[in-house]
Amino acid sequence: MVVSILGSQIIGIIPLGDIVFYMTSFNLFMFAAALAFTFIIAISKTETQVEAEFGSLGDREIKVAKKEFKFRRFLAIICGLATAGAMVTGDIFDFTLFVCLIGIVNIGIVGAVKQIDVLDSAFQYGLIAMIASTPLFVGASLILAATGTISILAINSLTYTTPMMLFGSILLFLGVAGETGVAPFFATKAEMFRTPGSPFLLIIHLSSLLVIVRVIEILLIINKPF
Amino acid sequence: MILVPDVVSPVVVAIYSPAVFVGIIVALIGLFGISIEKNDLQVLILTDIVGVAMLIIVAAVGTDLAESLVLPGLVVELAEILAICEILMSREMRKTGKSVALIPTPLNFDMEVLQTAPVFIAVILVIYGAFLSGFTGGAIAGGGILFYVMSLTVRGVPSDLWEGIAGASGIAWCLWITGFLVLFVFPSYWLLGLMLAAFGVFIKVAFKAGLIGVMNREEFRKE
Repeated sequence: MVVSILGSQIIGIIPLGDIVFYMTSFNLFMFAAALAFTFIIAISKTETQVEAEFGSLGDREIKVAKKEFKFRRFLAIICGLATAGAMVTGDIFDFTLFVCLIGIVNIGIVGAVKQIDVLDSAFQYGLIAMIASTPLFVGASLILAATGTISILAINSLTYTTPMMLFGSILLFLGVAGETGVAPFFATKAEMFRTPGSPFLLIIHLSSLLVIVRVIEILLIINKPF
Repeated sequence: MILVPDVVSPVVVAIYSPAVFVGIIVALIGLFGISIEKNDLQVLILTDIVGVAMLIIVAAVGTDLAESLVLPGLVVELAEILAICEILMSREMRKTGKSVALIPTPLNFDMEVLQTAPVFIAVILVIYGAFLSGFTGGAIAGGGILFYVMSLTVRGVPSDLWEGIAGASGIAWCLWITGFLVLFVFPSYWLLGLMLAAFGVFIKVAFKAGLIGVMNREEFRKE
């Protein structure tokens, strides 16, 4: 049986009971990209920020202590693995859980810093992420209520689209946008990047980019506009 | 097109859309509260109301798939609220320069009931939890151990016992994961997988309290 999702053929599925991972060339590419970036981040060293001192010609170096560095690297690896998992999962509930994990880990990566304004921004981002988990889960459950299944492969073979599915997928998109802190909510997240320890912060950007691309694929599968 | 099977009574089906509306109204109340509140701690507590609205709407679907989302949803809410609490606490500590203990300072009471009653209650809870087994039993037994640790903390008794318990908890967790993998990868060995998972989850949930005990020891050292 040849199944195609959005025009690209399924290369294979990994059946783990109810949890089915499926692979198309699109998913595989993003999965490999997430894993490769996670590997690069895992072996890289942290940067040292240099701040100009106000009113003099001196510079000040901001270094990250080794303990904090290890902790952040661990969280960044978790974030990368969650992103890679969200790329290949064939199950909407799994997808929402991976996205929530990314949100929590993003808070954790900047949670140990010492600057007050970064902590302030992390607090606001955390509030947005917590509020956004409501539309995220509600969207998934509305899709479940409207279609009777959460498997993306099963939804792909449905021939109809009801308004309930459209509403659910809009809520799902809102939830993902809030959880990863993209455009309408980016103001809460922007200040977080001023903290030292750059390579681990990059995974925050990368995860939100990849997850947004993936959620658009899922929404296209659910609503079938073509 | 009707997805609901005939065995479900029409009353239950009719409740679905009111439940969704109740959830939306609850979420709007929470969001309205957040919009007018300026205190950070109050905002954090109000955010939890929005999370409760999520649980209402997910639970309204009422199938076993929906149930499988209720528990992770609850856990995600708890994890996020804990993470944000930590952020808030460390920010306030940086602002004021003082550090705050999570557990209150030990009491200096010399009463016999403080030494005998916690042990008795903890033993009863652990035995009852062992009878129940699985996730519920683990929670009850863990509650017993947690109660014992808390009573030790309040009495200010130092304890090195809990590190081994934390290790055992980690091993039991591995058993649980292995059990699940066996269920998924080799479905014909389901009984082995089931036993591994049930045994593992019981010990893991029970001994999770041990981790809290290890964290508490940092508080003992402060004395």
